[in-house]
Amino acid sequence: MGGLTTSLLAGMTALDATQAALDATSNNISNANTPGYTREVVELGENAENVNAVSVTGGGVSLEGIQSIRDELLNLQIQQQTSLQSSADTQSSSLEQIQNYFSSTGSDIASELTAFSSSLAQLSASPSDSAVQQNVISAGQNLADSFNSTAGGLQSAQTQADQQVTQTVAQINSLSQQIAQLNAQLDQPGNSQSNGGTIEDQRDQLVLQLSQLTGISVSQSSDGEVITTGNGSPLVMGSQSFSLQTVTGSNGFQQVLDSNGNNITSSIQGGQLGGEIAIRDQVVPEFLTQLNNLASQFATAFNSAQEAGFDSNGNQGQAFFNIPASGSAAAGISVALTSGSQVAISSDGSQGSNGNVTNLSAAVNNALPSGQTPANAYASLVFQVGNAASNASAESTAVGQNLTQLTNQQNSVSGVSIDEETTNLIRFQTAYEAAARIVSTVQALSTVTLDMGSDQSY
Amino acid sequence: MRVNPNTVPDILANLNQSQNTLNTLLEEVSTGKSVNEPSDNPAAAADMVQNTLETGNVDQYTKNISSVLNTIQTASSVLSNVASSLTQAVSIGTQGANGTESSDDLQDLAQQVKAILSSVVAAGNTSYEGSYLFGGTDSSVEPYTADSSSPTGYTYNGNNDTNSVEVGDGLSVQTNLPGSQVFSNSSNSVIGALSSLYTALTSGSSTDIASATASVTSALNYLGVQQGYYGNAETQLNSQQTFLQQDTVTLTTQQNNLVGVDEATAATELSQAETDNSAILAAAAKVLPNTLLNYLVAPS
Repeated sequence: MGGLTTSLLAGMTALDATQAALDATSNNISNANTPGYTREVVELGENAENVNAVSVTGGGVSLEGIQSIRDELLNLQIQQQTSLQSSADTQSSSLEQIQNYFSSTGSDIASELTAFSSSLAQLSASPSDSAVQQNVISAGQNLADSFNSTAGGLQSAQTQADQQVTQTVAQINSLSQQIAQLNAQLDQPGNSQSNGGTIEDQRDQLVLQLSQLTGISVSQSSDGEVITTGNGSPLVMGSQSFSLQTVTGSNGFQQVLDSNGNNITSSIQGGQLGGEIAIRDQVVPEFLTQLNNLASQFATAFNSAQEAGFDSNGNQGQAFFNIPASGSAAAGISVALTSGSQVAISSDGSQGSNGNVTNLSAAVNNALPSGQTPANAYASLVFQVGNAASNASAESTAVGQNLTQLTNQQNSVSGVSIDEETTNLIRFQTAYEAAARIVSTVQALSTVTLDMGSDQSY
Repeated sequence: MRVNPNTVPDILANLNQSQNTLNTLLEEVSTGKSVNEPSDNPAAAADMVQNTLETGNVDQYTKNISSVLNTIQTASSVLSNVASSLTQAVSIGTQGANGTESSDDLQDLAQQVKAILSSVVAAGNTSYEGSYLFGGTDSSVEPYTADSSSPTGYTYNGNNDTNSVEVGDGLSVQTNLPGSQVFSNSSNSVIGALSSLYTALTSGSSTDIASATASVTSALNYLGVQQGYYGNAETQLNSQQTFLQQDTVTLTTQQNNLVGVDEATAATELSQAETDNSAILAAAAKVLPNTLLNYLVAPS
């Protein structure tokens, strides 16, 4: 049989539930702009009915829990795309710097090669003019300088990427530890694995940051959440984290080791770390090799042309360029001659002959052993650098659009809508007022009941 | 389907993209170049390397041609003077060979021939911009110097080599003829013929004078052939100059096609991008501040 107490209890459960709903709404509003926050929804359920011989009465409302709304699959996709984008961004910003050295600035290799070629053509017309001879030497020095600075630009991009590798690995380790700690908190009783609420929000946010640093794969196992690098080296297993290490490799660059000491440098892909390693170990070395080949083949060809003739003092021509015996030819190339009179202009040893200038010009304009002329070899390098920079930036844009799309979807699932929360606030306010009215009504009725048949008024 | 309540990242992404387009177009309009760094158009940037090199070379080839033309024209006019001197020597020889001249007259004629010989030797020693024109490739020593031991009275100090100047890719033009070919050739020596005419006039033998006059005539004809060489070189250089002028136009056109900006198109696109950017900003200003709170009456 129902009674006033039943109504009172129902009113009380309603006050409790509405209070919780108001809490959730307030929390949503206060965290509307918190990164990684997923909106909370209060889950209400009917209490069991009171059944007796005469009637069935409702048991009020029960608070089943507060649920954070998130889509794990979307999270995974966002993590993957974030890795891709941050790798493309890292490469793009490096390549932007690199391609400045290949832009037509007036002191790039193309301009200096042109000036050098012109100085030789001029020498052909005025072989005895010492100013023209000296001009060949200074144009040669400018050309060597432009090789030096271009190679220097490539090397500094490589060194910069190498320094960042160490920093990025340190950040990865710090994030792995924080994630493991949050996993440990999630394991504690009272935090259900399915709905960790705030802690899970924080963890997801950290995992997203981790995916920005390197490509990761996330899975669930009996130990809890498992995060590994793309090639399977563990970073986090439940409440345990595994540190990556860096050691200086035989090439002088930092190598990344997993927790077991295996070198995983070449298998790291995605994220800042993947981008830095790609720039350092693949992109820049490819460009440097071509630039070094060009510098060394060009200098060798020019030196042999120079040695085929005689200088203005009647001596056999000496090497025009110094080519470093080891290390980068482009970074170390320099002009060996000190005076314009040492340029091997003459083919017969007489002063005034320009017979060897044709050979010198041919060394600049004809094909090198690589099969390409110096200008073509350099042009192909310009194309590759430009293409790599343009591809990296295009990939970043494409992935960025994809990511915006996914983030939109995620927001449409998890994002806090101020309009919705405001509406809920009004709804729950009304419900709370109504529930409070139940209590006050029951109180009034109780008073009436107690007053029945008594002189005394309660 | 729940709608994404947070439009801020979307608006920011759009603004970012629009600003990026605006910046790119602004750079194009202000620099007049559509390729400012290799990534703007890798293929065009690569083609520009070759274009830059060729433009530089064509500039220098053009300068070479004008300098070579001056040299060749100087040499050519020297040979014309020598030719008229030789014509004069032939008429002197003819006069001396007719057998009517007195011994004194013959000596007088001999002195005239000697003067012509000196002027021809001086012509052989002509220098232009510090280089001897007829010394082969040896510009440091005077080609002809007096030498009493030589049958002609002069010795050639130059060499037999020639210089060629680059006036195009793989195209060189020979710029000089050595004196050993022009003036003291072994079969048709100008100096030798004049010298023997002088000797014949001095000796007074009509037969010798006639035979020496014949060699001077033959040397004159031979000189005509050498003059023809310079004429041909001049023609070749002039036509190469015309070609280089056309090449410059071609290269400039190519450069414009590769990296140039069509100002009208770029300006139109820039103004379009400005409009787009303003539209996004205006939309953001309208959408962002709107919430239900703007319309609810504040609780009293």
